[in-house]
Amino acid sequence: MAFLKVPNVAIKGISACVPPKVEENRDIPFYTLEEVDKVIESTGVERKHIVSDGITGSDLCLKAAEILLKEIGWERDTIDAIAYVTQTPDYLSPPTVFVLHDKLELSSDCLAIDLNHGCPGWVIGLASLSSLMSHGSIKRALLLDGDNITSSQYPLDRESRPLFGDCGTATALEFDETVSPLLFHSGTNSKDGVSLIRRKGAYRQPHTLETYKREIGMLSGDLPVEETDDTMDGMSVFSFGITMPPKSMKQLCAEFNLDIDNIDKLLIHQANKFMINKIAKKMKMDLSKVPSCLRDYGNTTSASIPLALVAQCSKEYSSQKIRSLACGFGTGLAWASVYFETENMVCPDVIIY
Amino acid sequence: MEIKDFIEKFAEAVDVENADSLSESTEFKMLDEWSSLAALSVIAMVDEEYDITIKGDDIRQSDTIEDLFNVVKTKA
Repeated sequence: MAFLKVPNVAIKGISACVPPKVEENRDIPFYTLEEVDKVIESTGVERKHIVSDGITGSDLCLKAAEILLKEIGWERDTIDAIAYVTQTPDYLSPPTVFVLHDKLELSSDCLAIDLNHGCPGWVIGLASLSSLMSHGSIKRALLLDGDNITSSQYPLDRESRPLFGDCGTATALEFDETVSPLLFHSGTNSKDGVSLIRRKGAYRQPHTLETYKREIGMLSGDLPVEETDDTMDGMSVFSFGITMPPKSMKQLCAEFNLDIDNIDKLLIHQANKFMINKIAKKMKMDLSKVPSCLRDYGNTTSASIPLALVAQCSKEYSSQKIRSLACGFGTGLAWASVYFETENMVCPDVIIY
Repeated sequence: MEIKDFIEKFAEAVDVENADSLSESTEFKMLDEWSSLAALSVIAMVDEEYDITIKGDDIRQSDTIEDLFNVVKTKA
């Protein structure tokens, strides 16, 4: 079983940055007013911050990291490791973590890794980086996580257009022998991975002139999306999302004897309102303990858990001891749950790029 | 597992006011109330009421309510 108990790593701070441009779902041209109200009611998303003018996920993460470092008071040469979790790298090569390492002016004595992951990415990144730190040599690390996912989306795709927004986050980790361990569970169902897949344009299915023209047409919103194009299979993702995440969180609680009643915050990947409510119900968790930032930010892929935390609860996290249970799930298909305790962590308000 | 019971639960999930207007041979995608959101409600209903996970293809490959009922029954 893929359980992990990672001692000696404290989450010292979390920040989140979104691009300035806002798209109102009520302004999306292909909906009737009646349709859009229904979509908003079930998804919970009224508007999203979306990138423009060439802003990428790494720009958003950079800004989130700069402000977090300033507030936390860490000198840049004290950071021993940096990881960047994204599905929207800046370049084909090198991994974008090097772009960030350079712009943050971190020391050359620093481990840098990219993790290509979808919505479970923040939890997977936290598991990976904290595991490296728990050995004790790496004292301070930055986990940067975010996408400019809307750049990869087709404006005429009715299923994803109202849902997704962009965000970059930064999480500051420190070696600390006094803290309770981070507890993880993760799982993989690659057989159903096809329900969230983009095949064309990489190395298995490089673009031909014809597919490239079609891709550009769809990305610019000139060409409609057909059933044969790779888009999200919303129904399959939904049935996966209401099944595996609650199961995984319950397994985590059972493995490590965690009492669900003692959880202060249940942070569920902000997929959509319908799914979050179903998962919360299965966890028998009162919705007042389940933060949601869907209304103003939409589904921001792997950044959604730290964004929900920052957007809805930054005051509580920065002034109290909080026991959190979180679960990210999606592309893979994969899911990952984590239990973590924080105390008075640095948690600035959401940053507008 | 009774089909009559399934039809009632289906009607509730899809928001069809009069469940009696539905039968096992109803082609559910033709209903005015059918939409991609209704599909999610049916998936959630099957999960909640029968503890069974149906996927997108199960819905896509079903035409009548009975087709869908048979999918659920096979997975039970």
